[in-house]
Amino acid sequence: MKSKLILTFALFLCLTFSACQNSNTNAPKFAPGDLSKTDWQTIENKARGTNVAFAMWAGDEARNRFFQRDVSRNLKEKYDINLQIVPLGDTAEAVSKLLNEKSAGKSAGGSIDMIWINGENFRAAKEGGLLWGKFAASLPNNRYYDAEAGQRDFGTAIENLEAPWQKAQFVFAFDTARFSEPPRSIDALGDWIKAHPGRFTYIAPPDFTGSAFLRHVLFHFGGGANKFQTFDDELYKNASAKTFTFLNEIKPFLWRRGETYANSTKELDRLFANGEIDFAFAYGANFASERIKRGEYPPTARTFVLDSGTIANYNFLTIPFNANNPAGALVVINYLLSPEFQIEQSRILGSIYPHKLDALSDAERKAVLEIERGAATLSAEELDAHSIPEADSEYLQRLEKDWREKVLLSGQ
Amino acid sequence: MRENSSKISVRTKAAVAAFAWVIGLPLAWLTVQSFAASWRFPALIPPAFNLRAWQYLFDSSSGISNALINSLLIALTVTFLAIVFALPAARAIALHNFTGKNLLLFVLLLPILSPSIAAAIGGHALFLRYNLTDSYAGVILAHLVPTVPYCVLTLTGGFSRFDVELEAQARTLGASGWQVLRFVTLPAIAPSLLLSAVFAFMISWSQYLTTLLIGGGRIITLPLVLVNFQRGGDEAVTAALTLIFLAPTVLFLAVTAKYWREN
Repeated sequence: MKSKLILTFALFLCLTFSACQNSNTNAPKFAPGDLSKTDWQTIENKARGTNVAFAMWAGDEARNRFFQRDVSRNLKEKYDINLQIVPLGDTAEAVSKLLNEKSAGKSAGGSIDMIWINGENFRAAKEGGLLWGKFAASLPNNRYYDAEAGQRDFGTAIENLEAPWQKAQFVFAFDTARFSEPPRSIDALGDWIKAHPGRFTYIAPPDFTGSAFLRHVLFHFGGGANKFQTFDDELYKNASAKTFTFLNEIKPFLWRRGETYANSTKELDRLFANGEIDFAFAYGANFASERIKRGEYPPTARTFVLDSGTIANYNFLTIPFNANNPAGALVVINYLLSPEFQIEQSRILGSIYPHKLDALSDAERKAVLEIERGAATLSAEELDAHSIPEADSEYLQRLEKDWREKVLLSGQ
Repeated sequence: MRENSSKISVRTKAAVAAFAWVIGLPLAWLTVQSFAASWRFPALIPPAFNLRAWQYLFDSSSGISNALINSLLIALTVTFLAIVFALPAARAIALHNFTGKNLLLFVLLLPILSPSIAAAIGGHALFLRYNLTDSYAGVILAHLVPTVPYCVLTLTGGFSRFDVELEAQARTLGASGWQVLRFVTLPAIAPSLLLSAVFAFMISWSQYLTTLLIGGGRIITLPLVLVNFQRGGDEAVTAALTLIFLAPTVLFLAVTAKYWREN
């Protein structure tokens, strides 16, 4: 009896140990230099029958379900590609994994074929030499995007190392059941906060969203977002000094008298949903509509943007330097850039359609315009008219660091 | 006499009630949360319920059943291997005196004395060099690092009360080496064997950082999925996953409680 049991165990061990070899089976070799010499059909043929490992932030059940079921099925049917999701809690996990692999000299046969990325993670990946090559301009579906979308990612030159994928605009949420007209400028917001003590807070940087709120204040005192596209020390010093004065002025009127701040989007959401504060904010013009649909926000919640505009950024898809199957990754990325995918995603996840409308066929344009946007989501025209670009990521890092010293710890 | 026994039973009842309160209340809360469509202040009870979280968990495309199977297979293999590795070491430490014994004990316990994050990050570089990352073998090996010391400790306790003469007696009566192990040694240390198995299983079952780094996102276990949803803020799915994650612990507790009551 016992010896049989041990034998079974030994067999099982052999199986698990050999199973680890499975992931790297016969993926076609493909280098960035081959792109110009190869036509797209050949790349699609090479990718047929392969596995593509897509590392993506996986904290949203609806998105996970959409990718693991619908997107996987479509890729299998159209290109005979097996999509494997590598779930990440934070994209920085993938970047640090690649950094480790780079320093250990693992330059091929990596376990990630493509990553969903932007901002500081892209900058770190680019500076660390963790990216595969300049591929974005070679994708047939790149033509659907504004050329401007592929220029800079938080001030870092993209140089075709990543392909623009989705657009997220920063919006504020408020509840029309509490008041009908929200403050639409930083000055008006400041006055509102002083008139309503304890009803506003923001997320403490370096949280991604909290840091974005700070940049809106910085832009306001620095003469607009366009001045912040490349780093200027003088501009930063002037604008940030006024920013910190403003933030310290409103501090005693914040939730819990500014002794503490919300620590995540999740907490800000909870405070707003529980009626403890009067404003929430997030990247994603549809976020309030989604929360209403899930029953988290009251149905009377609506969103608004500042008259001077709110930050809109793109997020991107890229291929790591040691991708095992770059040809497969190229085909998947190209599919994810297609109007077909984008329209389906907008339908299912309510995300904002990121393409130029005039690049679409009549049928596609009609489909885009018919997508249900949700009652709390602003119109595409209003969002576009109030869309401002991200700042160079040097401003981000300085602002996050100085905020801690000059606002969080000041007066203690 | 009578009064005394009823006093004990009152005290026992109080202890059981406190225990149930501490263990049961969070579990009850998690159960309600996992079915809640939304649950906002100041509602004492969720205003609406649905099966969304549980349906997602059992949906084969969500990959959660795969994560569960991975967690189980890895934890069982780690348990088996950890005991196989720990048995000889524990026996030697408990039954023999030799120079450098304390040093050996120190080295064996080092993995649980040092911070696990340092071991995981340092280990990642080493595992990369030997091509052990992104594989089951690597993850199992990495989980053995914190499990073997616990097994050695608990099994040493078992062996220290073990009389080696029993083995010699069995041999003189004609038992083979295998029979001695099967019918004499293992039954004698059975309680500590069981305890170390539970330890090894639970440690492997709850590894997060090690699995994330060595598994490279390719070997997905339950804690990895759980952390993703916790960070993502989906409270119903997080609660449902937490309940599954806690299932072995609750099971062990129930079995232990039953064992106590019977003995």
